Amino acid sequence: MKLHNQIVFITDADCRTGSSLIRRLTEEGAQFILNSRSGGAAIASELTSIYAAGSQAFVVNIDLCSRAEADEMLKEASLQLGTVDILIHNNNVVMPASIESCEEERFLQSLNVNAKSAFICTQAAGKQMADKQSGKIIYISSIHAEKPTGSSFCYSASKGAVKMLSKEAALVLGRSGINVNTIELGPVEGDNEKFRSSLSTLYNDYEYKVPNAVLGDYDDLAELVLFLSSGESRYINGSDIRLDGGFLLHYMNFKMKRP
Amino acid sequence: MSIAGKIALVTGAGTGIGQGVAVELARRGAKVAIHYNQSDAGANHTKQQIDEFGGDAIIVQANVANKQEIERMVKNAADQYGGIDILVNNAALQLNYSFFDHDEASFDRMMGINLKGYWQCMQAVIPYMKAKQKGRIINMSSVHSKRPTDFDVVYSMTKGGIRMLGRESAIELAQYGITVNTIEPGAVDVGKQSARESRPIITPEDMEKHKKTAGHIRNKFPLGRVGTPLDVARLVCFIASDESEFMTGSSIRLDGASMLL
Repeated sequence: MKLHNQIVFITDADCRTGSSLIRRLTEEGAQFILNSRSGGAAIASELTSIYAAGSQAFVVNIDLCSRAEADEMLKEASLQLGTVDILIHNNNVVMPASIESCEEERFLQSLNVNAKSAFICTQAAGKQMADKQSGKIIYISSIHAEKPTGSSFCYSASKGAVKMLSKEAALVLGRSGINVNTIELGPVEGDNEKFRSSLSTLYNDYEYKVPNAVLGDYDDLAELVLFLSSGESRYINGSDIRLDGGFLLHYMNFKMKRP
Repeated sequence: MSIAGKIALVTGAGTGIGQGVAVELARRGAKVAIHYNQSDAGANHTKQQIDEFGGDAIIVQANVANKQEIERMVKNAADQYGGIDILVNNAALQLNYSFFDHDEASFDRMMGINLKGYWQCMQAVIPYMKAKQKGRIINMSSVHSKRPTDFDVVYSMTKGGIRMLGRESAIELAQYGITVNTIEPGAVDVGKQSARESRPIITPEDMEKHKKTAGHIRNKFPLGRVGTPLDVARLVCFIASDESEFMTGSSIRLDGASMLL
């Protein structure tokens, strides 16, 4: 087991990336701190499998943008489980918004949930990791940290900010033996709806723009997260890893592999 | 490459890069609204330089963290000159707090000015540019939109956000004839700064330190010098001109190749 007794903090346990991560990392012996907006209700089956595997989960529901709440929670968790070994920030809230007409409140909501939470959690968990001179921080970001969405600029701007957070943290925390990396995921099924745009044709025929015409899923993500969480990835630091099957390289429509 | 008669708003034009940009735009015949927030001394100095060669400039004030103040400022400039053709988003805050010294408040403050402020200044000028079906928005970013600073995590987060703001707005605003481009300056010698908190990207003291630790300046800057506000201003003038009409959504690193070392 690659993560035996390693303590993994997942910042959004309730979303689909959260449940895939929990399932895969449980198989490798991880223990969990799970931030769940539903207070655990939405992840009942995941929790059952954690316990069945003989692992533990510390389920919380905190404001990830509050350093005081994050510190307090991690302190409590450390008494029950121990300090964080692996931080996985996977908050990805996409809210349609145009530059021209978006309201300030929506912009700030998106920035906070997608980027400020990453910053606060990095400080809080990063402190614990720095104290023990080891740790892994992984941001689950999106190809839209690079490619405009044409529909949700607050989201891509937030993920652009996280990209730089990752690089700064890779330097500062890297000096304390911590690896910090970003995964830029996409597209997975349903992203054409999530990023529906009247400006960008990116998601037209999106499944065929992946050269092999097979979309990835959250289990692919979980495999990469496992690798980045393990000792095997010790020299990977400050990287943005695009996990998109080659989607963003698409150029010639007529060469698409169609059924 | 004419920008004569064009109306430009330059934020943070009382010091450093913004001042250099405002003066050069005016020298080439643009009408320039010089924005400042806290102290008008710098803005007056900018205007004085423009007045000396008979250029046309006004001074406008706003806290760019506040949407109402931005709207008032833009309306003020547009009313006086008859619209806005060129927006140079430049006003930014750099606190230089270390990684663990930043907190929620400093994060909010920097994001409020550097990222939200840029976006809301864009939002405020869009109606004027839309009316003319033409406009130029130039966002001053930094080499730290790609390469970390190692001294201010939130600063580079704001610049990472600006990078995507520029790319998104390029595709959204193209339908109105508005182009959006980003300049990423490296170290720029901006002289002595008066404002306590808004430290320049590199101070003369830092340069001295650099020289001592890095040996010859070419070890850090292949052209043998750091940038000047005029270097940045010349690029702004090109982007603001009609000759750049097909360029949008671009980010131009302007650092004398220092990031390549």
